[in-house]
Order: sequence, then structure tokens, then C-alpha cells
Amino acid sequence: MPLVIKDEYPKKLFRDDGKRLDGRDVDELRPIKMEVGVIKNADGSAYLEWGNNKIFAAVYGPREVHPHHLSKPDRGILRVFYRMATFSVFDRKRPAPGRREKEISMIIADCLEPVLFLELYPGTCFEVFIEVMDADGGTRCASTTVAALALADAGIPMKSLVSSVAVGKIDGKKIVDLSGIEDKAGEADLPCAITWYNEEISLLQFDGDMNLDEMNEFLKLIKESLEKIHQIQLNTLKSKYLELKEESAKKEESKAKKGEN
Amino acid sequence: MMEDEESSPEEYDEYDDDNDEDSREIVVPGEVLTEEVNKFLPGRGTILNTEKNKIVSLNIGLKQIKRNYINVIPLRGFYTPRPGDKVIALVIDKNPVKYRCDINAKDLAVLKPKNAMKKSKIRGIRGSNASREEMSTDKFDIGDILVVKIISADRLNQPELTTIGKYLGKKTGGIVITIDPPKIPRVIGRSGSMIKMLKNLTNSNIFVTQNGRIWLKGEDIAHERILIKAIHKIEQEAHTVGLTDRIQEFIINEKEKRGIK
Repeated sequence: MPLVIKDEYPKKLFRDDGKRLDGRDVDELRPIKMEVGVIKNADGSAYLEWGNNKIFAAVYGPREVHPHHLSKPDRGILRVFYRMATFSVFDRKRPAPGRREKEISMIIADCLEPVLFLELYPGTCFEVFIEVMDADGGTRCASTTVAALALADAGIPMKSLVSSVAVGKIDGKKIVDLSGIEDKAGEADLPCAITWYNEEISLLQFDGDMNLDEMNEFLKLIKESLEKIHQIQLNTLKSKYLELKEESAKKEESKAKKGEN
Repeated sequence: MMEDEESSPEEYDEYDDDNDEDSREIVVPGEVLTEEVNKFLPGRGTILNTEKNKIVSLNIGLKQIKRNYINVIPLRGFYTPRPGDKVIALVIDKNPVKYRCDINAKDLAVLKPKNAMKKSKIRGIRGSNASREEMSTDKFDIGDILVVKIISADRLNQPELTTIGKYLGKKTGGIVITIDPPKIPRVIGRSGSMIKMLKNLTNSNIFVTQNGRIWLKGEDIAHERILIKAIHKIEQEAHTVGLTDRIQEFIINEKEKRGIK
């Protein structure tokens, strides 16, 4: 007999003091850590730790399309490969890409396409490989965020970065950035991504039930949290170069001091 | 040997004004460069937003204001072939009518035998007298390093190359290293200052090309090693101030450490 473990969720998703199970406020994000340039042989790469999610992204391109029949004569294409490691979830995940992986790859590609100038690279493709090493809810949002970062790191011209976060509803309360349990046990969830060029919505999915007024409130909530995430993205991209710059400035200073002495 | 860096000072004058180098800040895609659209025009690496009230950056790079243009000089990116560029190519395939060369761009480049042979040697261009030897692809082998000029390149077709011209042709001996193409102007330096310094200090021949490849040959392997290390240091610190002096100091120190005069 195979060992069957049923999904069991705690009855209450809020603690007595009104905070969530992991001690967050309703509008608080999980801790986020980003890094760029982590994969040496990729044209651009990024790594993201978002709560318990650990995700790598690598970007290659522009390069030739294989299989060749996918190439478009008038524009380039963006291909995204979202994959989960076998050890990334509680049950062993079968390594073959399934329905879910294909869907998420597609929505991330559609979400990132508007910020790229694909018409400048006909007959070629940009490829984004996203590898989820550890998953705990909201990987599609985290993957979108880290893929945008990797594209920028590759030096591909972009109108702006893309940031993404999910909001949801539990016991009638609106919460930001759902974790794995909240995602499964909650009443509704709404992943959303924004391209910062003109602040347009680039990804919006919805599961559960809510009315239109609630939806509008959710969108406001999303905007506030995304601004925080965008700021982290900007700082990450800049810090790679600023650290070196500061170092050299320090060296210059010490040299000048030596010269005085 | 007739080696010379292919640097025309006009082409790289973006790196020339050292005076305002301190004011250059690092910008990332989507960052607003200015909201004074009446005063400034979007230059290289920038775009107006749809409301036409902001100029935003497209690349990760350094912001630069030149007259009334705002430019962003990229720190990362790929090489786009342009007609007239002299580049280092690697022959990776050949058939009886053409060679195919890797020039570090998205497409493979084509070198036809008629462009690899001086015109005076080919008699009867219409095929009447052209000897088989001259129109065949026996001149180069797979794996050869060539210095070539690009005669045609656009975003749709494969670039076409020629080996007829000054300094062009097969390279024997020496080492080819590859760096990030946007950092090539820094290796050349302000009107060739960096490359002159490198040549004098390490007694080597250096040939820098636009596609990020550098051919070098020193008097012995010890000098070449120092030179390679110095070039990679330049690549890493391309966005910092006072680079030439720092590299000079670095090479002198390394020479002392390794006991080379």
C-alpha cells in the first residue's frame, strides 16, 4: 500500500492576536532577498528568496530558434521554461513538465512580452529558464519578478521591470502575499503583475469568489505592495555595480591620503 | 607585426569627458531619467513614455547628458553587427561555396571565397576563367581565427564578411579572449590611452574588436597572463572612475609579485 498523506489544513488561519500563522500582518510581505549575476554561463541571471520560495532564473539570447519552425519572420519570440525541482514540494514532483508548468510558462511569457522590443530581433528568440528549487505558494508571482530581473541583467532593452504579487481573502479579511497554506485553504486568491512603464496590468488571474467592490480594493492593495517589491528589484540591479564603485572610490581616497602623507 | 587597435577616437567619445564622470549615476530599465521633456530629447538607450511627459531608461547603464540629449550607456548587452566593423571571427563550418563564422552575434556570418581572395587574382569573374582553386574554400580551415570586416549586416539576413583589407586575414599564434561587448570602449580608453598603457607595460600586441573579442600576443606566457588578468579587471570595473591609473598600478604590482621585469 502506498503511503497516502491527506492534505490537512489548520481550521484557523489567524492567530489569536490577529496576525497570520507565520506572524505577519495582513498587509505584510514575506522577507525578500534578490541577487543578480548568479549563473556565470548565462547571459543574464537572477536568484530570489521570497519567504520559503527559492527560485533561479537564467536568460539567453537573442539566439537562433530551435525548432526552427517556431521562429517568426517579422519578430523575435520569448520562450519561458518554468520548471519545478523534484524536491521543491512535499510530495516528490514528477520531473516531466505537466499541465501546470506549461500554463505558468505561458502566462509568464505573455506577462513579460509587452516590455520587450521583440520586433527588433526577427527570427530569433530570448529564452528564460526558471527553476523553482523550493516552493511555498506564489511561485508564479515570484518567477515573474525574478525573470524580469534576469532579463534586465542580460542587458536586453526593456521598457521597464515587471513586479508581481498575489493577494487573497481569508475569513473575509484581505491579505497580501499568500503562503502555501493560505493559498490552498483561503477563500480567494488573485495573482497580479504590473509593468511599470505606464503602470499597466500584465497578469491577472483569479480563483475563488469575491464581488466587484472587493476586487477594486484588492487592486489598490496590490499596487502598494508592488511598489515595495519594485524598489527591491531596482536596488538589487544597482547594488551589483554600486558596490564596486564604492570600493574603487575608497581606494582612490586612501591613495590620495597616502599621497598627502 | 602589423597590429593596431581599431579605435577611432570619435566613435568612443562617450567615454571621453572624464570631468562629469562622477555625476554619472547608474540607472535601470524603466527608471525615469527626467520629466523636463521640453529641455531634453531622448537619445540612445532611452524612450519617451506614452503620455510623452517622461524620459525613461531602456537599459542597465550609466546616465549621461550630452547637449540636450539624454543617453544611457549600457553596462551589459550583446553585439549587433554593423557594416564596416572589424571583428575576430572563428571558422566553425565550411562547404564548397562558403565558410560559416562565429562572430559572437545572434547569427552566424558568411564568408564567400570571392571575398577571401584579392580581386586581381580572380580572372574572368563571370566564371569563364576563374580557376577552381581560387573559388574554392581551401584557404581556411575549420577552427581558424580570422580578422574580418563586415560588409553587410541587417537584422534579417546573415552578415557577410570579407578578409580583403588592411590587417585582415588569418591570425596565427596569440590568444583570443572574450569580454562583454559594451565594455570594449573601456579597454581602448580615452583616445586609446588604456590600450597604449597595456601595450607598453606588458610588451605585447593587442587587437581589440567590437564584438568583445581581444587577440593578444606577448613576448612570453607570463606577460600574457598578467595582461589577461588586467583586461578582466577592466571588464569588472568598467563603470568606475580613474580606471587607467588603477590598472597601471595593478600591472606594476603584479609584475613585482611575479618577479617579471
